Amino acid sequence: MWYCNMSRITPDSKLDLLQGTLDLMVLQTLDVMGPLHGYGIARRIEQLSGNEVLLNQGTIYASLVRLQQRGWLAAEWGVSNNNRKAKFYSITKAGKRQMKRDKSQWERLAAVMGRVLAAAAEEGK
Amino acid sequence: MSALKQVCARLISLFRRAALDREFDEEAQSHLDLAVEDYVRRGTPEAEARRLARIQFGAVEASKDAHRDSRGLPWLEDCLYDLRFALRQLRRDRVFTLTAIVTLALALGLNVTVFAVMNTMLFRGYPLVQRNDRLVYIQEQYPSGTCCITYLDFEDWRAQAHSFEGMAFVGEKNISLSYGEGRSTDATAFTVSTNVFGLLGVKPALGRDFVPADEASGAEPVVILNHRFWASQFGGRPDVIGTSVLVNKAPAIVIGVMPEGFDFPTQFDVWMPYIRGAEVDRRAPEMFQAVGRLRDGASLQEARAELETINHRLETAYPATNRGVVPKMGTYSQANIGPDAPVIYGSLWMAAWFVLLIACANLANLTVARTVGRWRDFSIRMALGAGWGRMMRQIFVESLTLTSVAGVLGWWIAKWGVRAWAVETASIYQILDYTLDSGTLAYLVAISLAAAILFSLAPMGKVLQIGVNSALKSDTPGVTPGPRGKHLAAVLVAGQMALAIVLLSGAGVLVRSLMNVVSANTGVGNPENVLVGLLSFPSEKYPSPAATLGYIDRFEAKLRAIPGIGDESVASILPVGNVLGLTFEIEGRPNAPDGGEAVQFLRVGPDYFRVVEAPASSGRDFNDGDRIATLPVAIVNQSFAAKYWPREQPLGKRLRYIDRNKPAEWLTVVGVVPNIMQGDPTRRQFKPLVYQPFRQAPTRLGVNFLLRTRVPPEQVAQAVRLDIQKLDPDVILKKFSTLKASFGFDPDRMDRAHSEMGKYAAVAPIFAVMAVLLAAVGLYAVIAHSVRQRTKEIGVRMAIGAAAEDIRRMVLRAGMLPVAIGMILGLAASFAVNRILQSQLVGVSPYDPVTMAGAPVVLILVALLACQIPARRAMSVDPAVTLRHD
Repeated sequence: MWYCNMSRITPDSKLDLLQGTLDLMVLQTLDVMGPLHGYGIARRIEQLSGNEVLLNQGTIYASLVRLQQRGWLAAEWGVSNNNRKAKFYSITKAGKRQMKRDKSQWERLAAVMGRVLAAAAEEGK
Repeated sequence: MSALKQVCARLISLFRRAALDREFDEEAQSHLDLAVEDYVRRGTPEAEARRLARIQFGAVEASKDAHRDSRGLPWLEDCLYDLRFALRQLRRDRVFTLTAIVTLALALGLNVTVFAVMNTMLFRGYPLVQRNDRLVYIQEQYPSGTCCITYLDFEDWRAQAHSFEGMAFVGEKNISLSYGEGRSTDATAFTVSTNVFGLLGVKPALGRDFVPADEASGAEPVVILNHRFWASQFGGRPDVIGTSVLVNKAPAIVIGVMPEGFDFPTQFDVWMPYIRGAEVDRRAPEMFQAVGRLRDGASLQEARAELETINHRLETAYPATNRGVVPKMGTYSQANIGPDAPVIYGSLWMAAWFVLLIACANLANLTVARTVGRWRDFSIRMALGAGWGRMMRQIFVESLTLTSVAGVLGWWIAKWGVRAWAVETASIYQILDYTLDSGTLAYLVAISLAAAILFSLAPMGKVLQIGVNSALKSDTPGVTPGPRGKHLAAVLVAGQMALAIVLLSGAGVLVRSLMNVVSANTGVGNPENVLVGLLSFPSEKYPSPAATLGYIDRFEAKLRAIPGIGDESVASILPVGNVLGLTFEIEGRPNAPDGGEAVQFLRVGPDYFRVVEAPASSGRDFNDGDRIATLPVAIVNQSFAAKYWPREQPLGKRLRYIDRNKPAEWLTVVGVVPNIMQGDPTRRQFKPLVYQPFRQAPTRLGVNFLLRTRVPPEQVAQAVRLDIQKLDPDVILKKFSTLKASFGFDPDRMDRAHSEMGKYAAVAPIFAVMAVLLAAVGLYAVIAHSVRQRTKEIGVRMAIGAAAEDIRRMVLRAGMLPVAIGMILGLAASFAVNRILQSQLVGVSPYDPVTMAGAPVVLILVALLACQIPARRAMSVDPAVTLRHD
């Protein structure tokens, strides 16, 4: 118990994620794709983000359990297309509401950041 | 909502750790399988696929850890881990754990006990009463003393004072109460204004409260019963409501029973409405006291000033009765516990904190020693990456574990202590509420936490000194504590000794003061051979003084027949007791118009002065010839003669007392007797006294008897008791003891200003003894620890020629130096602290040289003893063994 929590250390090469960003990605993924297992979610995020987000696929599970505890995700053991046992996650109504809130928040922030950075770049010239 | 749900989910997950871990493992496995399958489908060989899947997944254990952190409460989990670790450590070191817990439990228990008692004495007030802090108790002070109030004055206050929401009064009355088939019992009743229970905010448990109509003249008499009286006399039957009882032979209806535990204003049996009769028009002091509830926003001072203004007006309007009559108003504590209560209970509280501080110093020393012992353990952890914070938390969790256990024990100690205090100090004149409430519990939690923080500071400071390298490099870490370590222990020891000496000298002067009171010369010869008792006569059977006197005649005849009994007499009050003084006048010396001086008038039987061995020094004793019909006579004591007739012969002079401006008949002085202590609670001076023959001025309801025995009194006590029982079973014998025993400190006999003094002086030594013992244990622990640590050094010293005596001197010097410093500081502090006690001291200076010299001697002896044991151990060190040791 004396070692520091390794999983909290993120190498510089990956994007330092804002709190909750990964959560939003997971919610969005499930909203678009429907029920999906952890591996599927991780793959999907990797594909979309070009491997910039996840340190490794295992980290997705901390996010999944947190979202589940908040009641935004539901989980159920099921069988995958090729007959493998897997835990399937789906987004709940509360999860959808939360996703909308987070999404608009994020879009506003991104827009503002974009404007500010663009302006700063203009002036810097 | 979602936050709360999440906290719940996280808490639950703590308890389902194994199941959730298993589920995670399964999920991770399924993840890997899916990934492998994916790779294989894309054409990767299976072995390579497995490798890639694993790489992609990352470290399973790290993910599992992250999973745990995000689903559970990592902080709490770490603390639980610390707790388990602490418990393991504490179980391993039993001696330390036990010492620490016992020390802390005693100190915490004592502190909480004192806090609860102080809370009760200073702030609580009557049990069950609402908003006690807004209630004030009012009496009037007359030239002869403070006792009562005049009903008409009360009416004027009630009508004119604006600072009060309401005001009620309580009078006192002895009644006889009959019920059922002629069963009769004497009961004490309070006659009250009907608003009293409403004012206090207490409703009857059974039946109804008084209503204003109950006090109208001509109203049907009603009574409300005390719960205790109802349970003992009426068997707790609820159907007693509405039944008729006889109060002094007149019927009255029982309308209610007050709740259990409710007494107001003292332990009485019955409340009944005060029905105003003709006697109140005389403006004579009758009522017992008034109780007022202050209006919101009105202060005690404003209310007092207002009453004083009203009384000034009354003085001008009714000079004959109200001259010099001043209202006396106070809170519960001021009125019932005495003016010095804040000093007494405040200083006891301070003393309890001293003891707690001493205990904390002990704990600090012990935990520092333990920390040093675990030096290597700590450094290894730090080398492995644990931060300072983690180590501090570990130490604090250990401290907290100790104080929690000690706190629980302390709570029981406090419960027991408060009960013991309540039983030991019970007085019928004080109704006190000692329940330990949630406030007390909160206090216990707070001081436990404070103690834990306090004694964790030292070991935490110690941990800060640990460098990762220092301990790992040296093979025997911390062989000798650095100068700072030794310094800290010495400072703590000196502080403990200083506190101990303050408590010791404080308790010392208080005890000496109490001894002065209890062993004061009372003027009575050989009081250990005098049996005394109080005979209480039921009023229905003994309605007149003549009936009582008849009983006394039979009583005396019967008792004198018991072999071993010598002289016998009766008295209205026993030696040392106190009665209210009466204003008096000497013939030929008319008093000034604003009244005269007051002295105590006592009524005693013939032979009284022989029983107390103070025979008349001039003139004669009272004899059987002094009866109602004969010349009224009096005997004065020497103090009276010296004060009022310094150069004259008192015999044959006449004096009389003045009762409510009406002079009584002249009494001719027939004798002068030696001084007997009477009416001075501190027993320092003999007051002027006037004795009257009992038969010329008998008291009716209670008579004290005194029997001088020729054999040890316990041999005849049983015979006396039996004879009284046989003579009339209805006459109740109370307070049966030797006269000597009755001189002991009895708060019931003391005035309010001094009644708490005895309790104070009796408990103060407990604090002092605890302080000295704890300080000694602390000193012992420090010295023993340093000897253990210096074993090698001592071995070397002995090997190069130090004698055992040198080693002993070295150990003693190390131990006694901080003791000496602490003692000097403590003595200096004592001079300041003892001054606070001045008001409580009788016949002893707060800087009493005997105490101030004795306290250090006691402390030095105890400290020497505490150092001696480790010194012995040091002397027995075998250099050969220690040097070969490692």
